[in-house]
Amino acid sequence: MVLAGGRGERLYPLTRDRAKPAVPFGAIYRIIDFTLSNCLHSGLRRIYALTQYKSTSLNRHIQLGWNILSAPLGEFIEAIPAQQRIDEHWYQGTADAIFQNIYTLQEERPDLVLILSGDHIYKMDYRKMIAFHLERRADLTVAAIRMDRNLSKEFGVIEVDRDWRMIGFQEKPEEPQTIPGDPGGILASMGIYVFNTELLVRRLIEDARSESSHDFGKDIIPMMIGKDQVFVFDFRQGDLGGTGYWRDVGTIDAYYEANMDLIAVTPQLNLYDSQWSILTYQPASPPAKTVWIEGGRVGTALNSILSNGCIISGGNVKRSILSPRVTVHSFAEIEDSILLEGVDVGRNARIKKTIIDKEVQIPPGTEIGYHLDEDAKRFTVTDSGIVVVPKGIRL
Amino acid sequence: MKKKILVVEDEESLRLLYEEELMAEGYEVLTAGNGREAIQQLETGKPDLILLDIVMPVMDGMEALGRIVGKERKIPIILNTSYSGYRENFMSWAADAYVTKSDDLSELKKKIRELLGKGKAR
Repeated sequence: MVLAGGRGERLYPLTRDRAKPAVPFGAIYRIIDFTLSNCLHSGLRRIYALTQYKSTSLNRHIQLGWNILSAPLGEFIEAIPAQQRIDEHWYQGTADAIFQNIYTLQEERPDLVLILSGDHIYKMDYRKMIAFHLERRADLTVAAIRMDRNLSKEFGVIEVDRDWRMIGFQEKPEEPQTIPGDPGGILASMGIYVFNTELLVRRLIEDARSESSHDFGKDIIPMMIGKDQVFVFDFRQGDLGGTGYWRDVGTIDAYYEANMDLIAVTPQLNLYDSQWSILTYQPASPPAKTVWIEGGRVGTALNSILSNGCIISGGNVKRSILSPRVTVHSFAEIEDSILLEGVDVGRNARIKKTIIDKEVQIPPGTEIGYHLDEDAKRFTVTDSGIVVVPKGIRL
Repeated sequence: MKKKILVVEDEESLRLLYEEELMAEGYEVLTAGNGREAIQQLETGKPDLILLDIVMPVMDGMEALGRIVGKERKIPIILNTSYSGYRENFMSWAADAYVTKSDDLSELKKKIRELLGKGKAR
């Protein structure tokens, strides 16, 4: 069950028209592609994605890009919109989202349920976590990643004993419990849970029948500690890259950094691993090309990612990520920027440290990212000086 | 003040039987003929306990159970059925008690007393 209803409010305006899992990432992907690819490579092919908020874009992506499994073999990836079958409100919390889809669990009757978030970027073999869960005879296993202690306020922090049994859980604490033998580190919950189905249903019903925020982190897990067999799986045991790469990309700054990491010579997140490829949907486009090499008019792209359909036509691109079908016209300069699908940058325009959302036309001579006070009048500008040009804007 | 019980049952003769018997026990009784009516009664009648049949037209007891729990989290619910397979249904686990339909209502009355006595009602 992939929770794909995240609003991603701090990613605004990228989430103005789409849920967080549908936000483009790494030139050609959507954030949810990482979780879905992990499922596929882990042999998990009966997948429900629970959507709610602004789900049109996500539904379309799942339909177009992920209609690749074999229904006759019982495989599927199905987006289930919030049906308001139990309650006419949106899901109240992560646990409520599963509770309201109890009918779906009923029909499938699996032995185990893997609950994932569609909001995170990482590569993980869930089979290792499931094997750990079975080996420990756990009722619930929660995946955790080591983070520096000073980041505790951003995470659900898990306390374990020597056997990795969970003995405490704090939601975004100021004073966190650190890892035994590692006073500078905490175990952060990754929002990945393996549950025995029957126990999951019992605890969801208990939670539904009480005053609660109906959230796994805040309500269900604290209720289960000390009562059920709750174990913690160390992400490093299932991490494929061996680099411990896992990102929440919850803010524009984090989103920008995580994208920019990909233009390093050997990024922590390896997209070139043919054993664990990340799948996505891409409409057919011709290969990227650069044109013009005469006098001062030279089309170049350096330390950059270019996708299919891009044309660098006499402009210069440095340290940037271009999604499919981006056009950069003559004498335009793009630096340290992320240009999403279909963006067109006119002649002599200069763009720096800017994220431009899909299909935006930048008129000739426009400057963005050079005068942040001016930019802030029309665009979102973050504290660290990243400008975001939203979808649908006319300049 | 009299405690109020909502009887949800599609078969009219049974509904009347429960109504009479429970009124004789000193309860105020509301009735509904299916799950949808039950949800309307939940809002307008503010019952203290719900006796819920499972197999009903329009909206069955399992669906009504989910919706009732979504609205009134703590109201005690007794599933009342002649059909024994209901425990296979996950949503049935949200009920507080299960009673098999019978001419003898003493078990049902006992369960009602227990649940209302717990002070769990509103």
